[in-house]
Amino acid sequence: MLFLQLLLQGVQTGALYALTAAGFALIFGATRIFHFAHGTSFTLAGYVFLFAWNGGLPWWAGSLAGILVAVLFGLAMERLVYRPIQRHEGSFFTVFVAAFGVAVVVQNLVGMVAGRGFASVDTPLSRADEVLPDVFLAPIFWIAVGVAVALFAALSTFLTRTHAGVALRALAQNPDLLRAYGLSSNRLSMLAFALGSAMAAPAAVLTAMTSGLNEAVGHHVMLISMAATIVGGVGSLRGAALAGLMLGVAESVALQFVDTQWAEGVSFLVLFAFIIFRPSGIFGVAQAR
Amino acid sequence: MSLSNRRSTEGPGGAAPPRREDPAPAIKALGLSAGYGGREVLQDVSLTLNAGEILCLIGHNGAGKSTLLRVLFGLHRPSAGSMKVFGEVPAQHTPAALGAAGVALVPEGRGVFPDLTVEEIFGLALWSAGVPKSGQRERVEEVLEVLPRIKEFRTRRAGTLSGGQQQMVSIGRALLTRPRALLLDEPSIGLAPKLFQDLIRPIAALRDTRGMAILLVEQNVREAFAVSDRVLVMRSGKFIFDGAPSDLDDHARLMELF
Repeated sequence: MLFLQLLLQGVQTGALYALTAAGFALIFGATRIFHFAHGTSFTLAGYVFLFAWNGGLPWWAGSLAGILVAVLFGLAMERLVYRPIQRHEGSFFTVFVAAFGVAVVVQNLVGMVAGRGFASVDTPLSRADEVLPDVFLAPIFWIAVGVAVALFAALSTFLTRTHAGVALRALAQNPDLLRAYGLSSNRLSMLAFALGSAMAAPAAVLTAMTSGLNEAVGHHVMLISMAATIVGGVGSLRGAALAGLMLGVAESVALQFVDTQWAEGVSFLVLFAFIIFRPSGIFGVAQAR
Repeated sequence: MSLSNRRSTEGPGGAAPPRREDPAPAIKALGLSAGYGGREVLQDVSLTLNAGEILCLIGHNGAGKSTLLRVLFGLHRPSAGSMKVFGEVPAQHTPAALGAAGVALVPEGRGVFPDLTVEEIFGLALWSAGVPKSGQRERVEEVLEVLPRIKEFRTRRAGTLSGGQQQMVSIGRALLTRPRALLLDEPSIGLAPKLFQDLIRPIAALRDTRGMAILLVEQNVREAFAVSDRVLVMRSGKFIFDGAPSDLDDHARLMELF
């Protein structure tokens, strides 16, 4: 029964990883910007929700405020950090270092303002009941899975059924050609950042209600998102989401065999295995170069 | 001079009614200079593309032809010079503003997104041109009258199409915006001469039926001259010849310039 318990816990964690990974994959796929501060959107959204909740605001108002702050942070990164670097034809490494620097600064600011250590929100939804002998499940499990499925379906529909979504897919393929179509790649890049950052916010809110947050949670989320993007196949949103789910399950199930501090390492074992045996990822297309 | 050498072209005329020829030139550029990273590619170039005219631009690789087209469509900002489109200075030197003024570009290479279907590409073009939903079907029908073969592969991903089919989609995409001035950058690349003829003739016919101005950058001189009214030869960022295609019928004269 321990295995089943860990599996269910892994599905819940994995659903949230899937959301953040899909957000990162959307931004990276459309803009080719390695948005290392994606995890910071997650941290900010989670702490804004915590503050709102502790300040007596209803859950939905706190969630909306979290989404808004995550989106604004993503847009600010695009406009104020990445675009100037790209304008000066900065390298991939420049982008990475700039994003990493911002992430570290925000992490420390969050630690100063909110205090260091774990903080969480206790709601009736987080309290688990025994659904099978020695298997406990909280209503938040179904909410996490439902939110992840609904948001991923909404994102997929947006990308295939709307002109803006199709334009984002076009941006991923050839931004220069998009300009010849009379479309602004800058605006579409901002749309990708807004949507991708928004995807991280519900995951952050649900994490605040379950395992809790600390100021460094963004780094962990970012590493998982990056691993999921590679494991799922660069450019594939469904690949990133599926890999996020898979990594969450792997991390959780591994607890049956290893101590907690090694659980995160399991995600990277999976990543290394893919890099060696299937570098194109689950849904990626093998490239000659 | 520019209209004296008009040659008849065959092909469907398209659904749009013939447009009266605009008195102002479709594009009038004066003293354009442009370059990349300090290297000047265009040097004080002036050009007039008249409404209802097919102007063929030829020259060596690197002569500045594609740069000129990129400047004329707002993809590249000139370092000097000015331009008017149908007598008006465009609000901004951007593809969106020039598109709104009636200019469309078919870029070099296959101007399609390989993972999008033809319908998605057309939808994107209509969206970027701000065509309301009520008018979109009519626009697509117009294009399908000019390039009817597109019907056969409308639902396919562009990346699965042949080179000729992709070029057809790229031109069709540009026509959806109902341009009055069409800039074509080497549409024959990778196409057999017969395929290029089949592609260019219905486009050239739009000059007669809609008074469309067409600036055709081509290496395929024989086929391009067959539909052109006027020829410009470019070398090292400057025009070195402006005249009728018949003036270059003499092979030696052409080789001397080109």
